[in-house]
Amino acid sequence: MSFRHLWAVIRKELQHILRDRGTFILVLVTPTLVLLLMTYSLAVEIQHVPIALLDYDQSPTSREFIHQITAGDDLDLYENATSMEQIEDLLIKGKIKAAIIIGPEFSQDLLAMRGLSLQIIIDGTEPETGGFAVDHIGWRAESFANDILADQILTSGISLDSLEPIDLRIRSWYNPSLKPRIDIVPGLLSIVLGFPAFSVALTLAREHEHSTMEQLLATPISRIELLLGKMIPYIMAGLVNVIVIPIIAIAWFNVPFNGNFLEFLLLSAIFLFAELSMGMIIGVFMKSQSAALALSFLVVLFPGFFLTGIFFPIAALPEMARMESMFLPGTHYAIITRGVFLPGIGMDTLWPYAIMLVILGTAFTGTAALFFKKKLA
Amino acid sequence: MTDKEFIKITDLTRKFKETIALDSINLTIQEGELFGLVGPDGAGKTTLLRTLAGLLGISSGEVRAAGCELHKNTETIKSKIGYMAQEFSLYGKLSVLENLQFFGEMYDVPPALQKERIPGLLAFAQLTDFTNRRAAKLSGGMKKKLALACTLLHQPPILLLDEPTTGVDPVSRREFWNILNDLHLDGTTIIVSTPYMDEADRCSRVGLIYQGRIAICDSPENIRQKIEGEFIKIVTNDWQKAREVIHPIKGVLEVQSYGEALHILVDSSTKRLGQIQNTLQKNKLEIMEIRVIKPRMEEAFISLIRKMGQTN
Amino acid sequence: MIRRILALVKKEFLHLKGDWWLPAFMLFGGTLELLAIGWATSRPITNLPLMIWDMDRTAASRNLVISLENTGVFTLTEPAESMGTIETMMDQGKINAAVIIPHGFSSEIETIEGHPVLQVILNGAESIPAREALRAVEGVVRSLDEEIMIDHLGIDPDLFKGFDFSLRVWFNEALNEAYYTTPAELALMLEFTILIFAALTFSREREFGTLEQLLVMPFSSLEIIIGKSIPVILVGLVDFTLMLGVVHFAFHVPVRGSVFLLFGLAFIYTLVELGKGMAISVFSKSQHQAFLLVFMVGMIDFLFTGYAAPVESMPKIIQYLAYLVPAHHWLNIMRGITLKGSGFLDILPDILFLLGLGGVIGYFSLRYIRKALD
Repeated sequence: MSFRHLWAVIRKELQHILRDRGTFILVLVTPTLVLLLMTYSLAVEIQHVPIALLDYDQSPTSREFIHQITAGDDLDLYENATSMEQIEDLLIKGKIKAAIIIGPEFSQDLLAMRGLSLQIIIDGTEPETGGFAVDHIGWRAESFANDILADQILTSGISLDSLEPIDLRIRSWYNPSLKPRIDIVPGLLSIVLGFPAFSVALTLAREHEHSTMEQLLATPISRIELLLGKMIPYIMAGLVNVIVIPIIAIAWFNVPFNGNFLEFLLLSAIFLFAELSMGMIIGVFMKSQSAALALSFLVVLFPGFFLTGIFFPIAALPEMARMESMFLPGTHYAIITRGVFLPGIGMDTLWPYAIMLVILGTAFTGTAALFFKKKLA
Repeated sequence: MTDKEFIKITDLTRKFKETIALDSINLTIQEGELFGLVGPDGAGKTTLLRTLAGLLGISSGEVRAAGCELHKNTETIKSKIGYMAQEFSLYGKLSVLENLQFFGEMYDVPPALQKERIPGLLAFAQLTDFTNRRAAKLSGGMKKKLALACTLLHQPPILLLDEPTTGVDPVSRREFWNILNDLHLDGTTIIVSTPYMDEADRCSRVGLIYQGRIAICDSPENIRQKIEGEFIKIVTNDWQKAREVIHPIKGVLEVQSYGEALHILVDSSTKRLGQIQNTLQKNKLEIMEIRVIKPRMEEAFISLIRKMGQTN
Repeated sequence: MIRRILALVKKEFLHLKGDWWLPAFMLFGGTLELLAIGWATSRPITNLPLMIWDMDRTAASRNLVISLENTGVFTLTEPAESMGTIETMMDQGKINAAVIIPHGFSSEIETIEGHPVLQVILNGAESIPAREALRAVEGVVRSLDEEIMIDHLGIDPDLFKGFDFSLRVWFNEALNEAYYTTPAELALMLEFTILIFAALTFSREREFGTLEQLLVMPFSSLEIIIGKSIPVILVGLVDFTLMLGVVHFAFHVPVRGSVFLLFGLAFIYTLVELGKGMAISVFSKSQHQAFLLVFMVGMIDFLFTGYAAPVESMPKIIQYLAYLVPAHHWLNIMRGITLKGSGFLDILPDILFLLGLGGVIGYFSLRYIRKALD
């Protein structure tokens, strides 16, 4: 392989990245923007869930109950309803996500230990809010009941702390308060750092569209030299991102970084090799930029989101999807980024994933070279 | 293959889906020839050149160039060929100099030689003042000249040029051909396709390609002489009517229209000149010009193509 | 005028036939994607790897293990023999949770007023499954608590009734995950498809220079715009129909409200996104740039639709911004009509927003395009 040829192509492509506004933005600016945007809107702690209450009891106990329920930030009292129709209306219009209906005999039932005369209605159309509402309302109701019934329980000769015999000690490693922002950011990193793959898919198509491909093919450059020459500049740009974006993540979002940065750099370079060669295959098959971009959305972006185990645990995916996810470099890199940031593990544990990425990268590049003919037709 | 047969094309056929783009082409180009390729649009000029440059595959036949078989050694032969595509577009974001350097690298021209040759090439292309300008900002003519310069940088023994002067102003066209002549005199083998008949005249040999086949391949004089008959040129005030009335005259083989003028192919000018004059006058047509002319390449080709069309 | 517009539309379709891959791609690619992703994401979280270190090895501890398995949430890995194993597996992200049953667990249970200890370690590097795991473990612990209290402490089971309340889930009684995710995914796909198509249609002419051709012909700029818009609208509606079919037949998402209303609003939504696509094409100098912008806009919209996180939980500023996103209202409308059976009046605010936004976007992009064309 001629390094002169390789270097000539790399240089030309680098000049293009630096001089073409669209490419520059796509490769070097978009990843950061997307990371910021996504973190702010996805890693959201649920709070201020609007609920409505319908109190048929209207007793001091029920009013105390209402007070307790809405005491915190998690549930917001939107409306003190006066009828069932109103509740229905509010739910349908989406103004409230849950409603609590306090039965007419609430306080009597409670004190007589006949149960909590409550009906909780939740809006099942939104993923997290319904479950959240049930959990939080349930906890508050339970502790309310505990308080009220405290005396009665004591008189029946049971000590309060025997009400929950099992001492459940919960610890959460790496992310003690289970803040979604902390663990989502490394996951998102693995998505945004793969963005240069789009540009790689475009670069071959661009030569076609700008009529420079023909001239390029007439020169004695070999396929590998051409493909690698076009890929390497984007790996380089990707590495710039690898250095800059984690710094932003750490500084802005307070995400801990416990691993070895040099190892991370190396592993990221390998990932870029694999991910970008995936983009290269797309580029080899598509002759127009629009087609290349559309295909990369379908094959790289969307699966990258859903199948790499960042938002949906891979274990929970159906068998076939799990197999597919093994072929995505993003899946392995997500494990690497999560591992390097939070637990801070290193090459000694992560090497199998590195090997996997090398294999994928070589396979993809090889396939691209195989199908890339130096002929116009 | 003898030494002098620099490029030898034997029974070259290329089929693409249902169409036969090149049909059993046989062509031998001598070393140092300046060979012109002409033909109507879609005849196969670009296809032939692309095949010779190794950009298209062959269905059957053989191409030998500079001692090697083309399709077995495609990549090595490419370093001996300079190919200029019809739609040669340069890298817009790169400067003139950067474009030249890029192609220099691609053709393995050592940096020292690049330094030596580039100033000369820039001068011939009159781009010295634009050395650092982005290629996208050049005019059409300048782009073509830069394209040619990129092709010449590695001083290949074989040049394949696909309509290099299309879209270039007449002055630049002439300069182009001066360069080509210099290269020709230096011994470079050049195959150039062109729609301009006057350029075809400047070649050592011309090949007419029609519907994928070589119709005729000879020196310009021989081709012109192949026409049996002579041409009479007339200019009247109503060329359409003139054409109508002249056609049926015995001895008129062909009538070609050139704007207001008609070029009439007759079996003998002495016999027919008077008859034509009479017919025109009888039909109340005003004669502004009438004389015998030497057939140019243009007439020769149109005539030949029409004949081929008839035999098909 | 109609005739000229029809001629333009015909030309666009002929053009499309040459490039038929683009609409086919978007339609079938998008629908397939919806199918695949919908399927993958509509499953409840199960098979979370759980590692158990049972130091007690009694009947009681084994029962606990079985209960954990029976939740259906976990897949048990090899039992651990040391903390080291747990640490390694956790570090590598191979387990989502570990449960440590200490020695003496069973005897503590037997003891009246005893406090058996149970340790749960969650893998915080994946907080979503961690919460699920925690929920499942707490559920098991709660039932075990009840058992202990009833069997060993002799507490009247009726006491527990004192803590029960009744729970009703509306609109999605079976808590079918697909009901949450697929309408949102549909909205996202639809938006992307229309945007890409619209942006391409208008910017492609500019890039290939055929725009000048058009302008020389006797078309008014309005006619050109309408002519180009019609194929996009058609593609959008076909896309919507296809995807609605997928969502309904493959994922059993019902359409409880009026189908006509749904399609009518889909049409309006298509127009709004078309306007956005046109605006994008005005601002981009090449197809590449158009795509970039579509991508960015699409991503931003996606976040504001409340797909992954409810809008109310976001900072106030972002909430206000969400109102400016047509997709946000469209998702509400879609969820309303399909799942809640909403009528016209119920979703009126969202409809008004959609119309308003459409009007503003449409006005501006029309003006800009006309200026560009003239």
